Amino acid sequence: MLRIFVPGWTAERLARHSTQSVERELEVQEVKDPNLGIGRNNMLTQSSAPPMVTVTHQDSSLAKKHRIGETIIQLFLFACGAISILTTIGIVVVLLSTALQFFALPEVSLIEFFTGTHWQPAIGHFGIMPLVLGTVMVSLIAMIVALPIGLLTAIYLSEYASEKARNILKPILEVLAGIPTVVYGYFALQFMTHFLRQFFGEGNVQIFNVASAGIVVGILIIPLVTSLSEDAIHAVPDSLRQGALALGATRWETARQIIVPAALSGIAAAFVVAISRAIGETMVVAIAAGAGPRNFEFGQDALFGFILNPFVAAETMTGHMVRISGGDLSYESVEYYSIFAIGLVLFAMTFALNLVARRIVTKYREVYE
Amino acid sequence: MSEQHENFNEYKAPEPHFGYPSGPQLNTQIKRRKRGGQIWYVLLMGSLIISILALIALLYTIVNDAFGLTAVEYQNDPVRLVLEKQEDILLADDDTFNSEDDSVLAAKVAEDPNAIGFFGYAYYQENRDALKLLSVAGVEPNAETVENGRYPLARPLYLYSDADILQENQAANVFLNYYLTNVNNEIDDVGYFALSPGAMAASQQTWIAANEMELKPGQWAAINPDGVGGSLTVASSSTVFPLTERMNERIQESGFVGTLTNESMGTTAGYRAFCVEDTADIAAGSRPMNQNEFAACRGLGKRPLPFQVGTDALAVVVNPANNFLSDVTSEQLSQIFTTAKTWADVNPDWLNEPIHKYVPGTESGTLDFFVESSFPQEMGALATPYLVEILAENVSAGLGRRLESEQRFFDDSLVFFTEAQWQEACNGTTPYAGCTLDARSKDNILLLIEENVTQPNVVAAWKLMDSLFGRAEIEQEVLLKYPAAEVQWYSWINWDFITQPQSSVPELAGVRTAILGSLLVIAITAFISFPIGVGAAIYLEEYATDNRLNRILQTNISNLAGVPSIIYGMLGLAVFVRAMEGLTSGAMFGAVAAGSSGNGRTVLAAGLTLTLLVLPIIIISAQEALRSVPSSMRQGGLALGATKWQTIWAHVLPNAMPGILTGAILSISRALGETAPLVVIGASTFITTDPTSPFSKFTTLPVQIYQWTSRPQAEFQNLAAAAIVVLLILLLILNATAVYLRNRFARRTA
Repeated sequence: MLRIFVPGWTAERLARHSTQSVERELEVQEVKDPNLGIGRNNMLTQSSAPPMVTVTHQDSSLAKKHRIGETIIQLFLFACGAISILTTIGIVVVLLSTALQFFALPEVSLIEFFTGTHWQPAIGHFGIMPLVLGTVMVSLIAMIVALPIGLLTAIYLSEYASEKARNILKPILEVLAGIPTVVYGYFALQFMTHFLRQFFGEGNVQIFNVASAGIVVGILIIPLVTSLSEDAIHAVPDSLRQGALALGATRWETARQIIVPAALSGIAAAFVVAISRAIGETMVVAIAAGAGPRNFEFGQDALFGFILNPFVAAETMTGHMVRISGGDLSYESVEYYSIFAIGLVLFAMTFALNLVARRIVTKYREVYE
Repeated sequence: MSEQHENFNEYKAPEPHFGYPSGPQLNTQIKRRKRGGQIWYVLLMGSLIISILALIALLYTIVNDAFGLTAVEYQNDPVRLVLEKQEDILLADDDTFNSEDDSVLAAKVAEDPNAIGFFGYAYYQENRDALKLLSVAGVEPNAETVENGRYPLARPLYLYSDADILQENQAANVFLNYYLTNVNNEIDDVGYFALSPGAMAASQQTWIAANEMELKPGQWAAINPDGVGGSLTVASSSTVFPLTERMNERIQESGFVGTLTNESMGTTAGYRAFCVEDTADIAAGSRPMNQNEFAACRGLGKRPLPFQVGTDALAVVVNPANNFLSDVTSEQLSQIFTTAKTWADVNPDWLNEPIHKYVPGTESGTLDFFVESSFPQEMGALATPYLVEILAENVSAGLGRRLESEQRFFDDSLVFFTEAQWQEACNGTTPYAGCTLDARSKDNILLLIEENVTQPNVVAAWKLMDSLFGRAEIEQEVLLKYPAAEVQWYSWINWDFITQPQSSVPELAGVRTAILGSLLVIAITAFISFPIGVGAAIYLEEYATDNRLNRILQTNISNLAGVPSIIYGMLGLAVFVRAMEGLTSGAMFGAVAAGSSGNGRTVLAAGLTLTLLVLPIIIISAQEALRSVPSSMRQGGLALGATKWQTIWAHVLPNAMPGILTGAILSISRALGETAPLVVIGASTFITTDPTSPFSKFTTLPVQIYQWTSRPQAEFQNLAAAAIVVLLILLLILNATAVYLRNRFARRTA
């Protein structure tokens, strides 16, 4: 049963109109809950004062009319949304099929791919470890920079800063977030590398090095960590904050012992998203981290002097993909297939991390009434 | 065991955990907690400050690289080319009379009522009754204005030496002493201006000080050169050279038995011989030494002492019958001797009679000085035919023909081809591009001269901070390392940089191609991604019910937003560049002009790739904008009988539009800064032709920045910094638009 409320109409006036004319002027939508009419509950409660007409649902002339135009529009809009599904399918199909072609090549073995410590396509060595090592080191350094700074900044902005300070500081972070990554790459090479070389000695720090790229990737990610953590902190209800302060906790004690634990799931998700972003970051590492994989041999190369040395150049997965495809790449070459295999590993890593972040949020979120 | 037992005996009940401590303990606890809070506050502030510092350091690095001093070497000095050409024009003019003998000139000017001429001041003095002397820019030449430099056509003549040299080399010391004693007797005869007694006394005082002599003021120690021997070298400018020669003759007549090597090499080369190569005892020049030359001398342990010995001044004269001219400005003077044909050309109030120009010959250096001090020194001051002459004189015939075949220099005549050759080529099967095109513009010819004749080459570049605080060291370094180079301020971002295409020569390289590429790619991205993104958002917000498919759709979009951009590059490479090559290369539409195709590595492929990249971001931001439209809007529309789509179109979308646009513009600015996917799908590494259609090869600003950053030469880093400035300005414009929309939106809903 549907109730239609027409402001200003008396029952007589409504009755004078045929049901057809009502249909013409009012598009009546079917509503799941019959008690929730178009005017919602508050309208129903006023039923005694203004005239109210009750139309029975059985009245066929008022039934929902099928409109082909509306359907077409809805289908078109759905198609727009479905493009995103197609994109995902496209990514998976393209990466998988080309990577499979790569693994089908006689000079490539799956075991060597995942365990080998030499990436030298020219002589048929395809071990992804050096590239993964570069990626992991850059991401690790980036996290050491971005996580504490990003989180502390978020705490400052949401718990300490005045409205006025926030209005000045947030745009600064937005500017940092809006600068293209290639500019950060330039910054890493022209500023951070010089800085590190002056600080640690020119002999100790190579021109292309993992540390410089990692620090700058960290700077690049600070705004992301800050804004995601701030969102999580904002979701903590004010009553918790006020309760802690009322019990005599200082501001910092409130932030550390009440707010951060309450927002922990969101903050953890922010961290995971940040790691995923660091792994996928391309231009900074392509410019500043090095132009060749750091091939190594366990036992022969010094572990901390070379393999894990942040001041030595090491290409990352993304950096390698950009460098290889930047030249005139032949579509039938092993290199062409190989970057798709690397891309698949990269996609799997970031996709898994994004899923983990989503899971953390949905599973461990504290729900406040 | 016993220890444990003891401990057990001494066991005391712990303090209760609950409740506040009392007395002094309370105070220490409060203090401790307060201090902890303060320390953390500093840490929190510090973390924020690090972000701000990083931003400042980033902007500083860019600005530091985008501006600064450069050392530029020219293959051919443009100033010299311009002046020589103007000198040639002047001498070739039918109304110009030139003579090596200045007294002839003076006599001719005295006879010709339309005459104007110039020569050394000494000749004017000899003929002052028959000539009318002009003041230049309101300054009349006389001993005072010439010496203090107010008269524009005057220059001081200097000798430079060093106290140690004078004390060690007796011949040099005596020669200098003789010079300072007797130069005023000879200088008029050589054609220069004698120094005032005061200025001469100052030079003599310098000599006295260098010899550590104690004399009363006004006294002078003239040394008799008779019998003094030894040898000395004078590195001389062409102006001082004849004066030094004259003094050498005189001193030999007085019994000087030393040998003097007087070399005429020009002022700059002379100072360089003295301060850098250390091959001269005395340097003679027609300008004071500058800072860098002093600095270079100090590098050799020399302290150059200036001895002014005279002044060179030109007298500009007209016939006494000339009654309209008594003062000329520098511009008028330059016009009279370059472009003007009649007096009325310069000033309509003057006589409409041809100007007869009387100028000294090329041997004396007087003409050079006049040309240098009054004629314009920019290439652009010359008319197009003369520019073409300069080009023709300095490039090979082969290159000239190539340039002319690309585009003619004149519509009505040919420079490198004969008419017959041209007709044959143009009527042949493969006519030149120049057969149909209009003649080159003046700007184009100026550019050709820069590329092929003057060929400026930045041999070294310095960062802004070094340039500001270490200019002296830089100039010294340039003098030592690049003697032919000029140190000049250079802004790597300038109009030419924005309007010129890419070049392998850093100082000629520009970003026009990259800017156009970026804008085209962005336009395609915006046109495709905006309707699709908004459509998807409308579906998800307004139509989607909470079923499995729609949940997957929503999750999938969030996941796509987290996929690294380079993965989209791989997708674009495999799908748009390779699989859909027929579409993206334009072959499907037959739209490919020969040579313009990028085999699918086109603007369109880039635009489509970036579309996929920004779609999730646009969808998410549009969803938020739609969500913020109050549901009363929808209910109102529906209640009035509108269909669902009518409600969305007429009520929801207009209200959400500012928010949607803001989000879309921010997404587009993300696409503008995107580099990795475009490198992967194959943006051209070196391209000088503008992208003209969606099927052109392309490069974009960020890709250009990446390529320049990857080059080892320092100049390309400067170019990268300049390109970053351009990119950031474009982004700023986009973001300012977004902020403007956001503020308008906020005002409307308030």
